[in-house]
Amino acid sequence: MALETENPSRPAGPAAPPAGVSGRRKNRRALAPYLLSLPGIAWLVAFFAAPLGFMFLFTFYDGTIDIGYNFTSDWPQTYVDAFTTYDTQIIRSVIYALIVTVATLLISFPMMYWIATKGGRRKNLFVLLLLLPFFTPFLIRTLAWQLVLSDQGIFLGTLKDIGLLSADFKLLASPLAVISGMTYNFLPFMALPLYVALEKLDPSLLDAAADLYSSKREAFFKVTLPLTLPGVFAGSLLTFIPSIGDFIDAEILGNPNTTMIGSIIRRQLLVNQDYPTGAALSFLLIAGILVAVFLYARALGTEELTG
Amino acid sequence: MNELERMMSAASPRSLPRREMLRRIGIGAGGASMAGLLAACGVEGESAKPAPQGEDPLSTAKIAGELNFANWPAYIDKAKGGSPTLEQFEKATDISVQYKEVINDNLSFYATIREPLASGQPVQWDLIVVTDWLIAKMADLGYLEELDHSKLPNFEKNAGEIYKDPSFDPNNAHSVPWQAGITGIAYNPELTGREITKTEDLFDPAFEGKVGMMTEMRDTMNLVILSNGVDPEKATLDDARAAQEKLLKQREDGILRQYYGNDYVQPLAQGDLALCMAWSGDVLGKTLGSDSKVDFVVPEEGGLLFTDCMAIPQDAEHPVDALEMMNFVYQTDVAAQMTSWINYISPVPAAKPILADAKDSYTRQVANSPLVFPSKDMESRLHSYRNLDPEEEEEWNDLFNEVIEG
Repeated sequence: MALETENPSRPAGPAAPPAGVSGRRKNRRALAPYLLSLPGIAWLVAFFAAPLGFMFLFTFYDGTIDIGYNFTSDWPQTYVDAFTTYDTQIIRSVIYALIVTVATLLISFPMMYWIATKGGRRKNLFVLLLLLPFFTPFLIRTLAWQLVLSDQGIFLGTLKDIGLLSADFKLLASPLAVISGMTYNFLPFMALPLYVALEKLDPSLLDAAADLYSSKREAFFKVTLPLTLPGVFAGSLLTFIPSIGDFIDAEILGNPNTTMIGSIIRRQLLVNQDYPTGAALSFLLIAGILVAVFLYARALGTEELTG
Repeated sequence: MNELERMMSAASPRSLPRREMLRRIGIGAGGASMAGLLAACGVEGESAKPAPQGEDPLSTAKIAGELNFANWPAYIDKAKGGSPTLEQFEKATDISVQYKEVINDNLSFYATIREPLASGQPVQWDLIVVTDWLIAKMADLGYLEELDHSKLPNFEKNAGEIYKDPSFDPNNAHSVPWQAGITGIAYNPELTGREITKTEDLFDPAFEGKVGMMTEMRDTMNLVILSNGVDPEKATLDDARAAQEKLLKQREDGILRQYYGNDYVQPLAQGDLALCMAWSGDVLGKTLGSDSKVDFVVPEEGGLLFTDCMAIPQDAEHPVDALEMMNFVYQTDVAAQMTSWINYISPVPAAKPILADAKDSYTRQVANSPLVFPSKDMESRLHSYRNLDPEEEEEWNDLFNEVIEG
């Protein structure tokens, strides 16, 4: 019945399929991408957006878990207090993360360049060797470093015994130990994107540069480096972002003079249970990172490269 | 009334009315009959009358055959990968024990169970061991089950008088002591190059980068307050500020290496620390009867006496099993067996003659150590912690957090 009443408004013709079916098919096709991404979206909403939203709500409250949390109209003060109380640790974290990013780049670029260009048939083996230590959990690796670097441990102890170091020399509980530990722990995050970028590099481009009378040095700076910038960009982000929030290295290899903002957030949430301050610090950190990443992308001109 | 007794009774006088009030709120919310309510307030044994509605599992709780026990590292006797005390307990009661050494410091552990407790959810532990002040705080908030003392005859019979009815937990309503101990200083003479006698030595620039302090606010602040010549129990906020300044300077001058929970033992043993704040039993266990490098001293300015207690978190799943364990460790021979290994102060005085009669010289040494069974002279050198009301606690925590957060 319904179809009959609609028919006059439709173009006549035996080939025309029933309107309902075609519309549904078209709809279904248009919906397909959304349906396909539904599990992913649901997952993100449940485990990322919702917790993040709750964390954000917490910054509008004050109180403790024992006395309960109450909404406060003075919530901007929470952010101001959080920042002014912990500015030292925030700045320290930014500096440490920058040093770590540069250090991992300087260490892994030559290494990955060599593997990608001279690795030959054993390329994959070399990459596997690089990754092998990282099959052990982060925490275990860092604790192992604590043992290795201990004042009378196998490394420093031996050097002290043969008189190369003074008896009161120490590495642990210093910024150097924390930065070194982080550089070690985050190395693969820089190395792998670099490797992918370097591996994709077409060697015939370098031949072409040589044909056009470019020196090897010029070819590197004018061909290799620009073409691997997306790898540098991705590697820097993957290193900088987690290292700025890292607390394991700072807590295990450092002391209160090397406390990073990640430790403070962890303590606020898990020990002091001051959720508003912990949440405010988290959002300050997120905002800071977003701004930094945006500026970095602008400076590097990688926007079009990353889409 | 001896010195120790005075200290125990001086520690944290808690207000019963508050607890009473919390209980009434609970009663109002439950809306159950009087008998059920009384049962709901505590852990009752098999003999207890079941709640009429049967809505409260605790009122009918029986031995479940399972016990999840959270304790501090090296706080129970060990042999061949197991613990004789736990093995004997399992054999005697048919209760299988999941014993986990998950407590590194009071606050960090409390933080892991606080949220479920605050929202009325059961926590994964049936039995926990925390320090006296935290017992008082948790009991106040209604986070601990009330103990059915008819299930604890060994405690009544064998516990030392000073461990009964302590001021932090009147009538032992929520807790019985596990062990007591002394907060003092441990040092490695090889690395310090001299004998350490006072708390002031922790601030000596000669030990740059080799000094460890404790993440426990109460231990660190009270010990430093003592070293400033102030009786911690009478300490004012200004005294706390003075202590904070001393700690900040120690950190900024690089004298401090790190703040530790119970994990100071490892760096001390491997020589990363020359001297540090320490708890008596941790160090004695390694020094008595051996040629260990590390020594423990009660500083000249005075040491601190603490009591760690067993308690059952609210709505624990196997509360009667936990009561069984509490009762079990108060047998004199079990207490002696534990003390001979852990070297803290046993709440069972009758353990001393048992240990003193032992065949091996090590055990006899434990029995005669003034740090395990404090002599009158030792007792006079031990002080009690400052009892903090919630407001003061926050002020002191803020001062201390500034030090350890860097």
